[in-house]
Amino acid sequence: MNDVAQLDSTLAELQPLLMKLARLQLRNDAWAEDVVSETMVAAIEKRPSFEGRSKYRTWVVGILKHKITDQLRRRMREVSTETQMESVETETFDELYDEDGRRLSPPLDWGDPEDVLSTQQFMAMLQACVDELPGSLGRVFLLREWLEYETTEICKELSITATNCHVMLFRARMRLRECVETNWFAKRAAA
Amino acid sequence: MKESWVMIPCRTAHRLISEGMDRPLGLGERARLRLHLAMCAMCSRVEHQMDFLRRAMRHIDEG
Repeated sequence: MNDVAQLDSTLAELQPLLMKLARLQLRNDAWAEDVVSETMVAAIEKRPSFEGRSKYRTWVVGILKHKITDQLRRRMREVSTETQMESVETETFDELYDEDGRRLSPPLDWGDPEDVLSTQQFMAMLQACVDELPGSLGRVFLLREWLEYETTEICKELSITATNCHVMLFRARMRLRECVETNWFAKRAAA
Repeated sequence: MKESWVMIPCRTAHRLISEGMDRPLGLGERARLRLHLAMCAMCSRVEHQMDFLRRAMRHIDEG
């Protein structure tokens, strides 16, 4: 196989990952399909500019991130309305604390978990936990922690207050913490 | 721990741990959080876990 054919076959293999990431961030299957199609077209058209310095997969994911940002900009009105509606919904989140603000169950000791970051099992569990975050929370959380936007930028684009933005990120992080603890560290401790 | 202007409850500590990842905390906020963390091993755990989750999220596109 020549280099071009090799890259094209790698691109085809990357499609499920691209789709998974686009769905996680956009929370809308139709938008995700559009973004993945645009990414794959761009990856083929821009192939001459791939210099082989970075991994091909990293390069393609970089294109995906740009296409996702473009899509979010186009859909900003819808995304912003959904976020404003969902950010005022009551949450079961306060059940984690008693009325004095103390945690009802103490967090587990996760030990020194650095090595799990390179295992596929852990990453699959983490993706599943992010997927379980409600739509708007998930979007805001990934904008911050995956696409690495500044919080001020996120609030401005979505027309939500800074307070609202911080509350959403706080809730997302605590939910993710619970999910990862339950589905990974508690199981490891019990084993 | 009895709540007061200087003794914050765990819930507030968790909120400040999270907000500290998004904006610089004020001097007072930082002092109250540090004080709480110095006395509360459980919240120190949460702080390390939040930091770990941030690093883990940077790898989310690799899996």
